[in-house]
Amino acid sequence: MHEIIKLENVSTTYEGEKRPAIKNINLSIKKNEFVYIVGPNAAGKTTLLETINGLLTPIQGKVQVFGQDVRKDGAKIRSEIGYVPQDFMVDQNEPYTALDVVLMGMYGKIGILKRVEDKHKAKALEVMELLGIKELANRPVGKLSGGQQQKVMIARALAKEPKILLLDEPFSNLDVESKEKIPKLIYQLHEERELTTLVVTHDANQIIQNVNRIVIMNEGKIIAEKTGKKLISSLKEFWWLPHTEAVE
Amino acid sequence: MIWFESLILQRTLIGSILAGLLMSIIGVFVVKMKISAIGYCMSHGAFAGAALGVALAINPLLTAFLFASFTAFLIGPFAEKAKLHIDIITGILFPLNMALAFIFIALSPEIGLKADVGSILWGSVLAMTNSDIVYLVSLCSVTIALIFLFWKELFAIMFNRKMAEADGINTKPLVYFIVFLTGVVITLSLKLVGGLLIFALLFNPASTALQFSYSIRKTMVLAPVIGIASCLSGLFFSLIFDLPIGSCIALVSTLVFAFSVIVSPKRRKGGREL
Repeated sequence: MHEIIKLENVSTTYEGEKRPAIKNINLSIKKNEFVYIVGPNAAGKTTLLETINGLLTPIQGKVQVFGQDVRKDGAKIRSEIGYVPQDFMVDQNEPYTALDVVLMGMYGKIGILKRVEDKHKAKALEVMELLGIKELANRPVGKLSGGQQQKVMIARALAKEPKILLLDEPFSNLDVESKEKIPKLIYQLHEERELTTLVVTHDANQIIQNVNRIVIMNEGKIIAEKTGKKLISSLKEFWWLPHTEAVE
Repeated sequence: MIWFESLILQRTLIGSILAGLLMSIIGVFVVKMKISAIGYCMSHGAFAGAALGVALAINPLLTAFLFASFTAFLIGPFAEKAKLHIDIITGILFPLNMALAFIFIALSPEIGLKADVGSILWGSVLAMTNSDIVYLVSLCSVTIALIFLFWKELFAIMFNRKMAEADGINTKPLVYFIVFLTGVVITLSLKLVGGLLIFALLFNPASTALQFSYSIRKTMVLAPVIGIASCLSGLFFSLIFDLPIGSCIALVSTLVFAFSVIVSPKRRKGGREL
């Protein structure tokens, strides 16, 4: 199968830091794979996602997405990636509605000098309806609860109909019911649209069934990759991961 | 004589409307992109440039434009290349520009230039020329056209630059464009408001409009209305009480902001925004 994401010997260091946040990462992800990246805090999971989409520039190694160098074609590549950042909260006085924020996710794909059309608004509202937040479309986004804002960010990532989904702790603020429902919805869309999906979590208990691969990170390195059957229960050997004891 | 005074007043009126409109539109971007320190630095860069023009007895508009552009270059591409944090580069450039401005003013020949020095320090109702009005009208048309063309990208950057970048928008040229535009707009409004106080016209109307609206589009309409009203009221008080126009505009716009904070629906339970 065709590799859609490929990292070769990649290290990324934050400005002013000596120690790389991720070190010598080698990772290949094929089209339509559903991959979980698991690890404790400061394992380098967010850095890995932001190195893949080119928001962070590695100090060594090569990152290719769709066979193209992220450093050269970053903006074009990112227009095909839906990204949900970790703990993204909007100030309560921000002058943007939830619909504004969802539509913004599509701007890169719509292209410069082109206008937002009714079909884009219809698509944004359709995704908001799937996530159960359509009625919040015209509310100021900063006035929404943490869970509702997280759904808005997921809708923003999905509305652009991306080829890749990068989700960083996307379910952390959701209520119990949504924590059940939304991951299933994302998996369903992943299958229907043949997406390639990477989900970061520090909580082994949040991993859904049917996942293709689990990548375990610690201290900036990939320390293990698990594929095959009974994936989630195989995490028990990594007893130091949060909530590993609860996995079945 | 009456005809002459009426012509000056007409120019000042038109200049006030255009400066209020432009400064407050750019101000919304400066406030929402959280680059207020840049706006502050640019205004003092233009001020230093204008002071150099007065000292050398050449067109202060030209030297103000050159200084503002150079300041924009140092804050934008240079600081990025040199990996200098925005707080550091603006913290260095602000006192430097002020120091240069005061040295240039100190070196200015005294005879016949006092009015010029006064106008770049705190603005003047007599300073606007026909050329200034032509420049302001042209800049106004270009600015509105460019903002219209790149509205959706600028809208996304104002919300969050990192997320705009993550969604495939090349934010760097657009941010540099706003920084450069800020410099040009400040340069052309400098004569009216003065270099020491021009930041008030950049910052106050946008901040006031944001007290009333949860929509950035409405803010983009409301801010220029407040900016123009502040400029015209400032002009009125300046003429009535024979005070510097820049000070009057800064005072009026600050009072309007203070009033907006008191009556803002965002601070009241159940208050409805515009």
